[in-house]
Amino acid sequence: MPGYVRTGNSQPPWLFPFVVITVLILSVLPLARLAMVGIAAFANGGIIDVLSAPSLWSATYYTIVTSVVGTMISLVIGCLFAFLLTLTDIRGKGLLSFFFVLPMMIPPQVTALAWVQMSGPSSPLLKALAIAPPLGSPQPLYSVGGIALLYGVQHAPLVYLALRAGLMTLPRDGVEAARLSGASSFRVFSDIILPLSLPGIIAGAAISFVSCTGNFGIPAILGIPASIFTLPTLVFTKFSAFTSRTFGDVAVLSAIIAMISVAGLMIQDRALRGRDYRVIGLSGASAAVELGAWRFLFTPILWAILSFMLAAPFFALVAGALVPAYGVPLTFKTMSLHAFEEILFRQAVTRTAFVNSISLAGATAVCLLVVTVLAAYMLTRRKDAASRIIASLIEIPYSLPGIVMAVAFILLFAAPIPFLHISLYGTIWIILIAYFSWFFAVSLKPVVSAFHQLDPALEEAARLSGAGFFRRLSDIIVPLIAPAAGASVILVFLIACNELTISALLWSAGTQTLGVAIYNLDDSGSSDLASALSVLVVLMVVIMMLLLELLAKHLPKGVVPWRN
Amino acid sequence: MKTIVSAAALLAASLLAIPASAANLVLYTSQPNEDAQATVDGFMAVNPDIKVDWVRDGTPKIIAKLQAEIQAGNPVADLLLIADMVTLERLKQEGKLLAYKSPEAAQYDATLYDADGYYYSTKLITTGIMYNTSAGMKPASWKDLTRPEAKGLVTMPSPLASGAALIDAQTLAAVPGLGWDFYKSLAENGAIAAGGNGAVLKSVASGERAYGMVVDYLPIREKAKGAPVEFVFPSEGVSAVTEPVGILASTRNAEAAKKFVDYVLSERGQEGFLKLGYIPARNGMKVPDGFPARETIRVLPVNAAEALKNTDQDLKTFSGIYGSN
Repeated sequence: MPGYVRTGNSQPPWLFPFVVITVLILSVLPLARLAMVGIAAFANGGIIDVLSAPSLWSATYYTIVTSVVGTMISLVIGCLFAFLLTLTDIRGKGLLSFFFVLPMMIPPQVTALAWVQMSGPSSPLLKALAIAPPLGSPQPLYSVGGIALLYGVQHAPLVYLALRAGLMTLPRDGVEAARLSGASSFRVFSDIILPLSLPGIIAGAAISFVSCTGNFGIPAILGIPASIFTLPTLVFTKFSAFTSRTFGDVAVLSAIIAMISVAGLMIQDRALRGRDYRVIGLSGASAAVELGAWRFLFTPILWAILSFMLAAPFFALVAGALVPAYGVPLTFKTMSLHAFEEILFRQAVTRTAFVNSISLAGATAVCLLVVTVLAAYMLTRRKDAASRIIASLIEIPYSLPGIVMAVAFILLFAAPIPFLHISLYGTIWIILIAYFSWFFAVSLKPVVSAFHQLDPALEEAARLSGAGFFRRLSDIIVPLIAPAAGASVILVFLIACNELTISALLWSAGTQTLGVAIYNLDDSGSSDLASALSVLVVLMVVIMMLLLELLAKHLPKGVVPWRN
Repeated sequence: MKTIVSAAALLAASLLAIPASAANLVLYTSQPNEDAQATVDGFMAVNPDIKVDWVRDGTPKIIAKLQAEIQAGNPVADLLLIADMVTLERLKQEGKLLAYKSPEAAQYDATLYDADGYYYSTKLITTGIMYNTSAGMKPASWKDLTRPEAKGLVTMPSPLASGAALIDAQTLAAVPGLGWDFYKSLAENGAIAAGGNGAVLKSVASGERAYGMVVDYLPIREKAKGAPVEFVFPSEGVSAVTEPVGILASTRNAEAAKKFVDYVLSERGQEGFLKLGYIPARNGMKVPDGFPARETIRVLPVNAAEALKNTDQDLKTFSGIYGSN
């Protein structure tokens, strides 16, 4: 039917400029400013100092090594869970899936803290069990291997979700045809399922790699004590030793991080090019493989992995919050609720952090939704080059590590805004704008796909009957895309609530987020308080996920990521 | 239309939910969180009409944040309560501080505050050696840390993350018989330098390392809570910082800031520090439980002007030895 409606004629004249200006402010300006400072550093010759510093190259090396190894670990774990939970008749899928996605929702520095509490001579848990390593044993996680392992745990759900989306659309008739011809489960898996799931695996690997290169919480807690710096933590420490050259230096460093991320995405693009994965036939290959007796092998394996990934670190975190002082073994006698008391009733920063994180996440999710509905309308109605360019400009910030965007926004708003003479640096507004920029793509995606499924005839009929733009929006479009809009709000809220990388550079007095508060408590040596606050954050995440689970019945398919 | 209106209302509500900083005073401090909160609570108990917001981070990080904010034209802090006088002396020379003659200064040794009133010491924090009680050797002097028994078991804070650590390095580097060679032989003995004093405490108390160079109050306080640690004042003497307080010239509430300075210097404010386990700077105060008498602690001299001049070079020397950033 496309063609009989002249594209673009039903849009109000202000819509296109509005979207263009928004994208200019949120994507183009900050990145252009970052590029300018980087080029200026080049021109001033300062670049030679930056590039000749051994710290830069060791950080680049550590970033790549930890990200590659971390991605491999997340591939192994993520693929195992995706195949078993999507294609087999294993029991307890819903529960397993819920728990497996949990690490992704937990802030990375909480994951790191929990694992530190679980291992090494410091572990209150191991001390309580009297199996702690002897004095002078190094904490094994303060190492390249430790960082990579936790990258793997943190990002395995990303691989799982990417692969699962592909597995859900596997052709059922292909599998059935093979079955009828007498193929074994193994043959079906290796000849049909595995080749067809490659795009999902490659996409998962790319997302995981890019998330690893941009991760800040894990290398900050595990790397800095052992003097292992990745590029994001190097940017952070450069800011911690602020000099007149800092802005130029971090611009160059950010450019290098951005290049590594883009290289990862290009490899993915390259790997997928030239192959045709289109399949015909009915999708939905549920229980394509019957496990039979193997079920008794795989079910305990999955639960064992989950308890090692989640339960053990969580109990270690709780134990770390309950000990009265460092190095004291946890017993019923020594147990103390002091840390929880201090965090909940005395520390002003806890309340500030909860209020800031929740209101920042709420404002980001809701405000972005208004913008994304308008942008998605424009993007799907105008199918010209301009809208394609705008669509990819919106994508760029989220595909870059958060620390790069944070630096870009510092550079953009370090000086007061011209003409208005308002200073955003050091206020909560700079964090909010950086969040808008970074989460724009996350918010847009579900809304755009909902718009693609809309029948233009409905709106056209309303237009012919004389309904104005806002009338059509409120009576036809918004009700039809409401489920997708809900998904967009929930997704952005959950991710923004646990954000650390951007706020670690942008926070100031009174604008601490939860991520910053936890990192700072641990950094000052109060790891009992950090653990107590982390326990509260984990509980908050689980409660929010449970609420979603309760709402899931009323939400469209695919909104709640861990459900079938 | 109704949906749009309610969406707009929701938007306005969520924007309003973002708190504007309502504090009358903003304090940047390097005290650990619990102490910072206790200090601020103590002040607000005396001055209930003044609300204080505080930010805690290591001294170099706090100063970096402040410098970045000053460069951006929007310094947030009104007050500083940070590790050492050298840093505040630098800010004074750059014209970033406000002079205020506190009446409480009469109770303080003249070496402990700036004669023009730009900053005042609030306590005495020495850096010595802590060890895990299950360690084989009981160190008595700085040099013991370079012995083979301590190989691979020593940790210290990095001067890049801690103001006290910087002063400690500058003090020990000036002691005949120690000097930078002492730091070199420590590094050869497998010592590491990373993070702040909190990291050292954690590492030694938990047994990842057996010995640490650290500020006094952390291990003494943790020991009282039952942690398996001891603190020693090494025989050569200890370095000390005095955690001075100063008002920024850009403060938007100078009157309240002056009240804060008076409070931390007052007997009541000093009592608060004493209760937290710090040696108060004010004359005639007791020392906290677990400390030896004040006159028995041998504090090594440091020349603040010299230290300030050499800071960049000293940081480079240190980073060169420990390969940190």
